[in-house]
Amino acid sequence: MTKTTHSMAATLAAAVAFAGPAWAEGELNIYNWGNYTNPKLIEKFEAKFDIEVNLDGYDSNEIMLAKVREGNTGYDIVVPSDSTVAIMIEQGLLAEVKPNEMENFKNMDPKWVDVYWDAGRNYSVPWQWGTTAFTVDTEVYGGDIDTLALLFDTPDELKGRINMLSDMGEVINAALRYKGYDRCNSNNEELRDITEMLIEAKEDWRTMDYATIEKLTSGDVDLSQTWNGAAMRAREQRPSLVYAYPVEGFTGWMDNAAVLAEAPNMENAKLFLNFIMIPENAALISDFAKYANGITGSEEFMSEDLKTAPEIVMPASAPAPDFVKPCPQEVTDMYNRIWTKLKQ
Amino acid sequence: MVDPRNTQAPTTVASSDPVARKRRSKMKDLRKQPGFDTMAWICLFFLYGPIVMLVVFSFNDNRSVVIWTEFSLRWYVAAFENDGIRKATLVSLQVATVSTILATTFATMAALATTRVRPFKGQTLAYAVINQPLMVPEIVTAVATLAFFGIIKQIFNINGIGFLMLAHTVFCIPFAYMPIRARLEDMNLTLEQAAADLYATPVQVFRKVTMPLMAPGIVAGGMLAFVVSLDDVIITLLVAGPGETTLPVYILGQIRRGITPEINAVSTVLLGLSVVLVSIFFLIGNKKRA
Repeated sequence: MTKTTHSMAATLAAAVAFAGPAWAEGELNIYNWGNYTNPKLIEKFEAKFDIEVNLDGYDSNEIMLAKVREGNTGYDIVVPSDSTVAIMIEQGLLAEVKPNEMENFKNMDPKWVDVYWDAGRNYSVPWQWGTTAFTVDTEVYGGDIDTLALLFDTPDELKGRINMLSDMGEVINAALRYKGYDRCNSNNEELRDITEMLIEAKEDWRTMDYATIEKLTSGDVDLSQTWNGAAMRAREQRPSLVYAYPVEGFTGWMDNAAVLAEAPNMENAKLFLNFIMIPENAALISDFAKYANGITGSEEFMSEDLKTAPEIVMPASAPAPDFVKPCPQEVTDMYNRIWTKLKQ
Repeated sequence: MVDPRNTQAPTTVASSDPVARKRRSKMKDLRKQPGFDTMAWICLFFLYGPIVMLVVFSFNDNRSVVIWTEFSLRWYVAAFENDGIRKATLVSLQVATVSTILATTFATMAALATTRVRPFKGQTLAYAVINQPLMVPEIVTAVATLAFFGIIKQIFNINGIGFLMLAHTVFCIPFAYMPIRARLEDMNLTLEQAAADLYATPVQVFRKVTMPLMAPGIVAGGMLAFVVSLDDVIITLLVAGPGETTLPVYILGQIRRGITPEINAVSTVLLGLSVVLVSIFFLIGNKKRA
């Protein structure tokens, strides 16, 4: 018995020791999407400022938001997507660190300064941005690919060969664009119309899945709704894939680095935001994550394949990407009902 | 004591009733019934097919987890050199070790307290309380723990991996508890009573008799707790703080951006580790019996 008590006391002591204060001087805790941060960028930052970086990954805005809302996460930097930035600012979760007064702010592409989620950039700095459309195997389908008709009025060659993202927003917004209806739509008639269309179109789809690269490269499908960076990586393994820029429109998104209001290492976090606005460093992010950043002059430092990729460099003829604001709760509820019906 | 089942069984066997004999032979041949083999093979295929594929593609030379090119160990090298994977593995092992030790200790105490005593009022309730983490959906526990720890952190202003270990300890307890309790229920009290008759003190009885007899149950419970802790995603995802990413959470984070065979390589190593663990346990068990 005494032996057990001893060993128990020892382990408890060990656990308490682990639980002790962890914030030494010179730390920075980053919470970013998994597999999205170039280790070289972190090494460079650590060496330059003598700061130790902890990097953890999440797989959805919702998980990150859930943790941050409960407070005391210990994280300094998070990288929410555009609409999530808007929500976090509104709920007072982000610190107003004024990136617009920082030394390297001059490098930010002016078109990314006055964005709906952070007008004037008082809170956040661009991390990566991209588009969500779809990619098609042009050996299987030879016609014009720049139309959403491929998803909703599928030509025979592609019937049963389509993967859609298992993402409510992306699927419903694509349907709304195809019909020419507004985003964040609460019009009953129009919603009923797209519900019918989606249910009919679903007959021609094979799967609804996030693992788009695997779906395409394994030959399981010939068309997949996907993000442009993923499309590029799928093309490297299946060269006949072409990323479409549908004339009806497609989603644009941006992930942004921001500082939490409760950040334990506020000054280091500000250093980091300023650091990633240097073109050379922004290029490091892009080289790893394979998306564009919002920093002017970073192109020179990027690898050649990224600079010329048709998925990253949009053709002049393509419509402007559509950045969708967060919808009111009643609209989200209606979307949820459509989504449930579609997934049945 | 005469067991009524024992007295009845021989008569059935001895009876020359042809129907009974036929029924008995049928029982024996249950495994040979039509469809059993097919079903078994289908089950085996779907149980082990994905794992075999995972292992095979960990040796694939290209970046895909679905198209084979040629044999290579590059993903093992890449996984080993990947800081994120290394750190996550280390965190996983740390958390699993500490919470296994704690959970097994508590489970052993709980098992002794619920079996080595006279049946008491509320015993069923005690079982239910101990096994609560098995009944409550994990996501509920996860969200509740997240909020609970959030408040504690706010009040005491402490942070760290201790919280994660604590959370793991809690849900590991029932897994450790079940085999230990089963073991204790199998052991009758005669040996302990005999030891006490021979003037062994209660401490001596526990150390020399009870403990060695229940050891296999403790080992089994501990291993179960270790594996369960190593496996956990949902609670860890919500409770983990900076620098506390465990391997499953790390892997989950990769899905959006595409899985590489690196993950296959790590999973294969983990699989090998658990096979080794289980084999060791099995060998110990067999030795004891022999």
